Amino acid sequence: MKQAVYPDISDILERKAEGRRVLAKLSFVEKVERMEALRERLGPVSKRKAINKIARSVE
Amino acid sequence: MRMQETIEVLNRVVEARVISRYAITGAVAAYNYIEASLTEDLDILVSFDDGANDPSTGLVSLGPVVNYLDGLGYRDWHKEGLVIGGWPVQFLPVAGDLDAEALDQALDVQLEVSPGRFVPTRIVRPEHLVAIALKVARLKDLTRVESFFAENAFDLSELCAILERHGLTVHLRRFCDQTGISNPCALSCKL
Repeated sequence: MKQAVYPDISDILERKAEGRRVLAKLSFVEKVERMEALRERLGPVSKRKAINKIARSVE
Repeated sequence: MRMQETIEVLNRVVEARVISRYAITGAVAAYNYIEASLTEDLDILVSFDDGANDPSTGLVSLGPVVNYLDGLGYRDWHKEGLVIGGWPVQFLPVAGDLDAEALDQALDVQLEVSPGRFVPTRIVRPEHLVAIALKVARLKDLTRVESFFAENAFDLSELCAILERHGLTVHLRRFCDQTGISNPCALSCKL
């Protein structure tokens, strides 16, 4: 049986870990600002989810 | 930062003696120590002067703070949170010795909201955040605990002492069993 060969992604995982470390070092205010921006972007998605939930409950 | 308004309003609530003091807790408090995670609301640990307690029932009423904020024009609710500065704020009255200690020992911080402009607030210490999360133990709380461990973002001996003091060592042991990590308090705490 042919053995599947997968790429070594340890460098990608290490970059992700480094990214998390960088994000963790941001100040409290910087983190809040990033989260507020993210909430803003996700606002339409949250609204749509709420509308769908209501629609499902009345079906 | 929209939360500037939230914090300034909370400071007004304290100045007006509607609450005696407060500290940011939960996911937003964790921003002070670990990588931020998305959250909908802002948890605020509060203590009231005796006037808010009903001695006949032992219940604490949020009525005074809700009425005061209503007077300032804040009357929109999102789920259980009163929206202030765009953030649904959940007021969590001190409900035990761990909460009382967390509020008492919270860090006084000055947030630089714009260059040279600071707003004072209080944030629960990381060791108390971990202890509270272990006690509540929902999946998202335990995920936060894992982040604190992964980022080595608390004082271990202080956490072990808090867990011991509040009878929560079993909660840490359970967390360690579930996650497969060795119990870091095992050497310094009697488990």
